[in-house]
Amino acid sequence: MAKKGTVRVYVGTRKGAYVASSDTARRRWQVAGPFFDGKDVFHLSPDPRQDGVVYAAANSSWWGPMVFRSSDHGRRWSEVAPPMMVVSKKRPPPSSFDEASKRPIVNLWHLEPGPENEPKSVYLGVDPASLFRSDDNGKSWEGIPGLNEHETRPRWNPGAGGMCLHTIIFDPSRPSRRYVGISAAGMFKSEDGGAHYRPANRGVRVSFQPEHYPEFGQCVHKVVLDPARPETAYRQDHDGIYVSRDAMESWQRVGRPLSTDFGFVVAAPKAMPGHAFFVPLEGGPRFARHQLQVYEWREKERSWRATVKGRPWPGELGVHREGLAADALDPAGLYLGTTTGQLLFTRDGARTWGQVPYNFPGIHSVSVASPPE
Amino acid sequence: MVAVRLDAMLREFAARREVDAEATNVGELLDELERRYPRLRFRLRDELGQLRPFVKVFLNGAEVDRRGALSASLASADTVDILHSIQGG
Repeated sequence: MAKKGTVRVYVGTRKGAYVASSDTARRRWQVAGPFFDGKDVFHLSPDPRQDGVVYAAANSSWWGPMVFRSSDHGRRWSEVAPPMMVVSKKRPPPSSFDEASKRPIVNLWHLEPGPENEPKSVYLGVDPASLFRSDDNGKSWEGIPGLNEHETRPRWNPGAGGMCLHTIIFDPSRPSRRYVGISAAGMFKSEDGGAHYRPANRGVRVSFQPEHYPEFGQCVHKVVLDPARPETAYRQDHDGIYVSRDAMESWQRVGRPLSTDFGFVVAAPKAMPGHAFFVPLEGGPRFARHQLQVYEWREKERSWRATVKGRPWPGELGVHREGLAADALDPAGLYLGTTTGQLLFTRDGARTWGQVPYNFPGIHSVSVASPPE
Repeated sequence: MVAVRLDAMLREFAARREVDAEATNVGELLDELERRYPRLRFRLRDELGQLRPFVKVFLNGAEVDRRGALSASLASADTVDILHSIQGG
């Protein structure tokens, strides 16, 4: 029997944000928006700890980055405070942070509600790679020095999208364990609630520099944890698809059987432990040639399944790193936004795929709020 | 008193497009505008206090060199236009 409630897919685009809504059957969709007209909305983040609360990270090349907050599922929005690269500090920044501190924030990349033991916290990753935390609903932001002033920072480099901190993960089984992902510095892991971070990239190849297996410097694109076994993580890197089974202490490349394992996205639905979904792209043009395919990694069998049957979307489709998200329903829903504005979805654990009948601007990000199980 | 005209796109952040203000240079003028219209804060200048790349300041019809724009002197009866460059697609 279908659960009651509303599934909301928050879509961040090149020209504003949208909310696509459906009941839990997920057959018919209604689209509201655009919100934040004309702004690049890199990410929207519903906060599961506060019903109806959603944060949005919007960027404008004219007016700079802006953070918005809604308390009614995205119907109305209010601007809250932006983070600042230079905040009032009692002590001067260390020399390793000097160079970065001379640059203003370029773009806001990812908003993430904090872990269970921090009921009010929200985290924000930005370019130049920095992590901020708010404990007052976005009214103010404080930098996280354990990451922002990391000793390796002078040797971090930007990827094509800038030097962005785009992935923020909290281990639900261990509140003190958390991770961030930076392009192109790699994954970093903390075991003490974010006071200290260390690189977590062992086994991940770097093709674009002389040392191919450095401690850090990987161009990680997106990482998610397995919903049932958080020590297992799935990683889409510039240089392939990887799985870690030891809380990111080491990584094994699993994407080689695919014709390409370059890509940007990964999602692991709550209702499908041991399954992760990826969208391989050609590394040069950064699109799927002729027909986009969504591959399912099956951890138990250690094998791949192509989930898109036939050629329903002929053409060259691309996907940005926040472009794939899963809901919490069973059977699982997955939502895939393309850089040309198609919102594709499955409501049966990727047995079949459909498309929300709406032409969006180019999609940066997709996030989902669905009734809890 | 300096007459200030704001770009139409700044309607999102400021209630009025034409205002008068007391200021001896452009930086002070922006401080005053931000005081009156708090949502202008960080929109014309970034958090380091520098003009954002696509913001242009014109003094009596002539563009102010952005390298010294914030310290450009203002006199009574001057007119300042704050515009943005056309960009995007």
